[in-house]
Amino acid sequence: MKWHKSAVLIALLCLGLFCTYSALDGRAAAAAEEKVTVLNPLGTPPPITLKQMAPRLDTLEGKTIYLVDDGFIGGDNLLYEIQDWFKANHPGTTTVFKRKGGGGFDAEDPELWAEMKEKADGIIIALGH
Amino acid sequence: MREIVEKFTRPLTAEEKRTGEIEQSRGPDTFTDTAENLHRMFLEKRYTDFLPIVLPTPERVEDMLKGTSHEPDEIVGKMSPTQTGTYFKDWTYTVRDVAVNAVMAGCKPEYFPLLLAVASTGKEAISVSDNSFVGALVINGAIRDEIGLNSKVGAMGPYAHANTTIGRAWSLMSINLGNCGKVGTTYMGVVGNPMNLINIVIAENEEESPWAPFSVRKGFRKGENIVSLFEGWGVLSAANWKAASWGKEMDYPKIIKDIFDQQGFLFGACAILSPPIAQFIRNAGYDTVEEFEKYLEPAPQFPMGKMAPPEAKPVGEGRAKAAPKAEMPPMMGGFSNTAIIVTGGTNNNYYSIGGLRYGRSVKIDDWR
Repeated sequence: MKWHKSAVLIALLCLGLFCTYSALDGRAAAAAEEKVTVLNPLGTPPPITLKQMAPRLDTLEGKTIYLVDDGFIGGDNLLYEIQDWFKANHPGTTTVFKRKGGGGFDAEDPELWAEMKEKADGIIIALGH
Repeated sequence: MREIVEKFTRPLTAEEKRTGEIEQSRGPDTFTDTAENLHRMFLEKRYTDFLPIVLPTPERVEDMLKGTSHEPDEIVGKMSPTQTGTYFKDWTYTVRDVAVNAVMAGCKPEYFPLLLAVASTGKEAISVSDNSFVGALVINGAIRDEIGLNSKVGAMGPYAHANTTIGRAWSLMSINLGNCGKVGTTYMGVVGNPMNLINIVIAENEEESPWAPFSVRKGFRKGENIVSLFEGWGVLSAANWKAASWGKEMDYPKIIKDIFDQQGFLFGACAILSPPIAQFIRNAGYDTVEEFEKYLEPAPQFPMGKMAPPEAKPVGEGRAKAAPKAEMPPMMGGFSNTAIIVTGGTNNNYYSIGGLRYGRSVKIDDWR
């Protein structure tokens, strides 16, 4: 008889545990399904202004190309290599090496801009490193 | 080279001829979904630093906004992946936008004026630069203790809630308010920088420093709540340098000078000194930081701002290596890029050295 009582007690305990677990599980599932509203973390991006690219040349023959070093380390090395390449492969193209002025590698150089507007057919600017 | 030549002579495509403006949208003001889906969406949209965030619910953002008297819709500033107004177009942001990111980072409302002060400068913590820069903040004044910033043992590490979450918020602000940190477009750091996660947040140990606080040296009153912003390669223990070998009698001024001479000043040289090291240097005869900085700076090798002569060099093999030393690239600026900060504990004679360049200081109380 004692044995039967214990078995019933254990069965009831298991049932209780199962019911508690089911209830908790149900609540957790409901919480997981609950909808939350959050704010957008982004700032406001500006509109993008499209600029048409410069018209292309029909040929490089007889044209003057300015090679502009902005002062960033090593840019001149690259431009001198480019200058060599033009001399070897496009002898009819004149290249002019210039180092940009101004107080920093990203500063304007109005004098050089004006000179190139007048004399250059094309420009290669190197951002070296 | 053939590609360059082709670009010169190939007619423009219709796409290349386009003009006009493209409007960009930041999307809806709010998102509604289950928490799990929102976490996933924030991750997928790259609104996070890849670590779990606190979801910015209206209630949490409202709580954060209680940390300031400024209106939620007030424009705080503008930011881009490099210094504002240069290569990238700036994004703008409001007090509310800053609050949203502060919530995501886990900040408390009492930190909010400091974050707004940082945001007002427009300085990004995550630069597009291929240098893999990190941002640094130096905080002076009573606010240090008021919000629980750690300035003692472990000062620069993630060992206080304020230091950690404020530094993290600066990165999240940079990502979401300044469009920073998108690899391949707005982030080009060659090897990256793990310090970007919480950046370098330094509350100066003013009491145990033998010198005037950093903010006072920048012209502010002692006790005034000031945050100073820096950018650079970051810091690591001075013991890492060969010049920092241990000796019987340590000549700290000379050791630090030797390290500075090794690392150069291009993007700033800084020394983050524990109070004992600062005291050793003071005892060596440097009554002010300015005197010590003067000792540390090398003799100028290039005239400041001097441009190279514009004429071309002669054609020939080896000329690329023959650039005369007088040709200082104009981007290198001067050498007055030293920063000496005192923070940390007094339990041993350690200190850190690195590359951090000072930018500017702003008043925190303007954003209360």
